Amino acid sequence: MGWLKRLVRSITFRLALLYTVIFAVSVSGLFYFVFWATSGFAQRQLEAAVEAEVAGLQESYERSGTTGLAMAINRRVDPNGRDGAIYLLVDQLGTPVAGNLGSWPRNVAVDDLWVNFNIRSMEWAPEEYAEARALQFFTREGFKLIVGRDIREAQQFRRQLLQSLNFGLAATILVGLLGGFIFGRGVMRRIEAITKTCTSIMSGDLKQRVPIGNASDELGRLSKSINAMLDQIERLMRGMQQVSDNVAHDLRTPLNRLRSRLEDALRQLQDPKQIEVIENAINDADNLLATFSALLRIARAEAGLQRNFIPLDLAAIGEDVAEMYGPLAEEKGLSFTARFEAGLWAKGERNLVAQALANLLDNAIKYCPEGGAVTIVSAMIKGLPAFVVSDTGPGIPDEFKGKVLERLFRMEQSRTSPGSGLGLSLVQAVARSHNLQLKLDDNHPGLRVTITFPEALSAPVPQAVPVREVQAA
Amino acid sequence: MQTQYVSGSAVSPPALGAVVASGPRQKVAESAMRILVIEDDREAAEYVLKGLRESGYTVDHAANGKDGLFLALSEPYDAMVVDRMLPGPDGLSIVESVRKSNITTPVLFLSALGEVEDRVAGLKAGGDDYLAKPYSFSELLARIEALLRRAGAQPENTFLKVGDLEMDLLARKVVRQGKRVYLHPREFRLLEYLMRHAGQVVTRTMLLENVWEYHFDPQTNVIDVHISRLRQKIDKPFDKPILETVRGAGYKLEL
Repeated sequence: MGWLKRLVRSITFRLALLYTVIFAVSVSGLFYFVFWATSGFAQRQLEAAVEAEVAGLQESYERSGTTGLAMAINRRVDPNGRDGAIYLLVDQLGTPVAGNLGSWPRNVAVDDLWVNFNIRSMEWAPEEYAEARALQFFTREGFKLIVGRDIREAQQFRRQLLQSLNFGLAATILVGLLGGFIFGRGVMRRIEAITKTCTSIMSGDLKQRVPIGNASDELGRLSKSINAMLDQIERLMRGMQQVSDNVAHDLRTPLNRLRSRLEDALRQLQDPKQIEVIENAINDADNLLATFSALLRIARAEAGLQRNFIPLDLAAIGEDVAEMYGPLAEEKGLSFTARFEAGLWAKGERNLVAQALANLLDNAIKYCPEGGAVTIVSAMIKGLPAFVVSDTGPGIPDEFKGKVLERLFRMEQSRTSPGSGLGLSLVQAVARSHNLQLKLDDNHPGLRVTITFPEALSAPVPQAVPVREVQAA
Repeated sequence: MQTQYVSGSAVSPPALGAVVASGPRQKVAESAMRILVIEDDREAAEYVLKGLRESGYTVDHAANGKDGLFLALSEPYDAMVVDRMLPGPDGLSIVESVRKSNITTPVLFLSALGEVEDRVAGLKAGGDDYLAKPYSFSELLARIEALLRRAGAQPENTFLKVGDLEMDLLARKVVRQGKRVYLHPREFRLLEYLMRHAGQVVTRTMLLENVWEYHFDPQTNVIDVHISRLRQKIDKPFDKPILETVRGAGYKLEL
């Protein structure tokens, strides 16, 4: 159900949802106004009729007293009760004198003019509860008169009206949501296509272009602009690559020449003081050259082309790098542990992956104080092959975790130790070109770096042995 | 001793002809090795030519693919240094044509394209080694010397002897001054490579590429740690050290 989740999260869908909500609120406002107006009108009509009747009865009472009133009531009562009119005249003791109601209704407050009550039995509706709304009236002799109307029908009409309004509202919301869903899905598909292209471009495939679809609508225009932008980026990237190659050529070569000249000078010197000066100069040149090649390597690693990736035996690479760096750790008095799960394969470029591991181990060893421990492990973590390199050194505070991956950034504490500040940037560059997830965690104490491959491969047929490129003579 | 070929339309930089070989190395004293450099970048070529001549080699230069191919096919050389990107036929096709003519002269490719696939393509075309620009001259020199040595060596020697140090590759046995030396597998391969290139400077990158078979930059000099471990075993117990550090370049096993 991933697509449903994505749909619910999509902007189009959320917009559609918002519109549905606004529409539903205004429609329900309209509906309930209609409802209020309709049912209120019916009630006012009923009340006006009752009031007119009471006025008529009052007149009869004024003219011919209680007897006249009782007669007038009996005249008005419809024996079939079809008009729903209710009358009851009771004497001082509450005994019914005239009318069609069996007894004075209970729960009727004396001082309320208008009352609502249930009537259990009437001649025309013996079985049901009938709802009634009525006006009370007292005679001078202490007789009480109630005149009302059966409002069951009116209330049923109200209920039906309410029901149909609710139903209409529900239908409105459903149609709105469905529309948003369909509309959102269509738009989302096109946006997804754009996102997919952008993702594959970010992983180094600059040749990709966004499908344009309907060229005249907003998304079509967006796609066109993105493609134009990509053309420009591609041009710029090519230019930059050329520049970086040129810089490599133009700066490394004179630097190397400078270094050769210093070496020449060194051979002709006898004075140990002068020799030391020149040796320091050579060291400086070497550091410059190292920084420079590291920058070049980062550029190359970032542009790493995934089409050249082959299945790699992670344990084999891990063992090679561990074997290379193990002695360095031991020399520094660190305990060194390397443990690699067999049978883990992932796609990548062998030298770049080895370079990333080497840089991580190099850092771990460099920053780990004597007596500490450095560990390199490969394992399946959450279904994906991963390397974990950890140390018990000072670690990296949270606020610097992002920064240490930037080129040439070095934390204040590490400025005194040798290094160019490019080690982790190179790891980051390899991670980018390989779609690896690079995570820096606290090792309590120290740093724990996890690099996770995007997918696991099953071990390939044994022909995929790395080419031994340069044969030893 | 100096030969400067100007063939076809090739116009070599005038300054180059004036360069006189100086400081010849002991090994070149008998007969100068001839090296062809095909490189279109004038400054880079000048730098390589000067350095090689100062190291005692006889060097010819071609500034484009056409002249390079002509020289490579018509003159006998001991080694060739070929730039990958050239005007005219490029480095790859030059070497392919040379190999088709059954010329087995060792070839070192120079290239600004440091990517692995370029390296593989270069070696497939018939190159023997591959050096990515920018490189240090000592690296280039060490590699050329390794190529020259390789061309003369017997292919699969199973017994190596350098001074009082002996290595039996079949028995995986190392003996110095009659005393058995026990080495880890990697130390054994390291020593094997050094012995096969005895008397020659071997750079750290060459060791990384040939002993560990990786092409990357190991940041700290991890190779030094392995060398010092090897020294503990083959030098320390004996009176005369034979594994020398060549400052600024690499290591050398004394002949």
